[in-house]
Amino acid sequence: MTIALAVPDILIARAKSGDEEALAALYRAFETPVYNLARRMLRNPEDAEDVLQETFLEVVKSIGAYRGEGHLWGWIRQIAASKALMRIRRSQVRAEEAFDEELTGGAPPVGVPARIDLERAFEHLSETSRAVVWLHDVEGYTHEEIAEMMGKSVSFSKSQLARAHSRLRRILEGERGTE
Amino acid sequence: MIHCTMEELLALRANEGSVWARQHVDACAECQREFDALYQRVAQLKALPALSPARDRWPAIREQFVIARARRRRRWVASGMAAAALIAGVLVMRPFTGVPQAEVAQLEDVKQQSASLEAELGRYDLDSRVVSGRAAALAAELEDRIASVDGELARLNTVPTQPGPELIRLWQDRVDLMRRLVDVHVTRAAYVGL
Repeated sequence: MTIALAVPDILIARAKSGDEEALAALYRAFETPVYNLARRMLRNPEDAEDVLQETFLEVVKSIGAYRGEGHLWGWIRQIAASKALMRIRRSQVRAEEAFDEELTGGAPPVGVPARIDLERAFEHLSETSRAVVWLHDVEGYTHEEIAEMMGKSVSFSKSQLARAHSRLRRILEGERGTE
Repeated sequence: MIHCTMEELLALRANEGSVWARQHVDACAECQREFDALYQRVAQLKALPALSPARDRWPAIREQFVIARARRRRRWVASGMAAAALIAGVLVMRPFTGVPQAEVAQLEDVKQQSASLEAELGRYDLDSRVVSGRAAALAAELEDRIASVDGELARLNTVPTQPGPELIRLWQDRVDLMRRLVDVHVTRAAYVGL
């Protein structure tokens, strides 16, 4: 998904002064992109909604510190990605990711577009793999940036990406083979 | 034949691949397909539709925002209260000449009421209390108005002031607002069992 959200400076200035309507307008402008980012990284929709809420609580609290350097979406996205990764780390502490290599869905109906195949295949990746794929391939983060956010090495990020793509390929080939 | 690994293909995609990998992909139909498929997967991922949340989370965020704003204002009001107490001290120390004793007594009375209400609020840890968004918004409004009264009292402190209708009215306004603030924070909280 390409984000091309231009937010007027006057709206940002009002939000920085604590104007409630301006903050609500920012929420409406970035609600879907933030949720989409979180939902693509996390398996559970409720977790993604929680990340959406945590992200905007942080935005509301810290917008005064936003200096206007770079696009506002970049600043908000960084907060959202950090919150989602934090949630992944917490869930990993609770339980090892046994779901990683499982296939939970059946074959797609005949004739469904490839896009749906990929979306379903993506759902079968571990949250760590989803996060790396989404941040790198869709959001355009570098391996260095991902490694820093995840508290891991660059090689970890690279190997997660390769592993995830190999996994996606196998799932997609398997599903197409059933049609 | 040795084919490219996924890591090598990803490196090629990032223009970081080895010479061998580039030459191999150019020559190997299988790896060329794999490389093209990689590009297609990424393009398809980017084209996935945006997902929207099932529920509107703004009301919960707004409630937290209102409560946090009320806390900030409360801290500000607390400093205003300290200023008002200072004003009261100055007035007590200053000899009132030619002022009806009834007005002096009335002023002392409302200041005493204000101090009692502040003490009552001070006995509760307001920041740790859970209040509804509506109550928090009402408290924030009352604190704003108290701050405004304190500002007026501070302004009067800059000029020689003696007990008079304006000063008494301001202190009485302050007492009324404080009483309503106590009602929001303490009485209603107790009523709902907080």
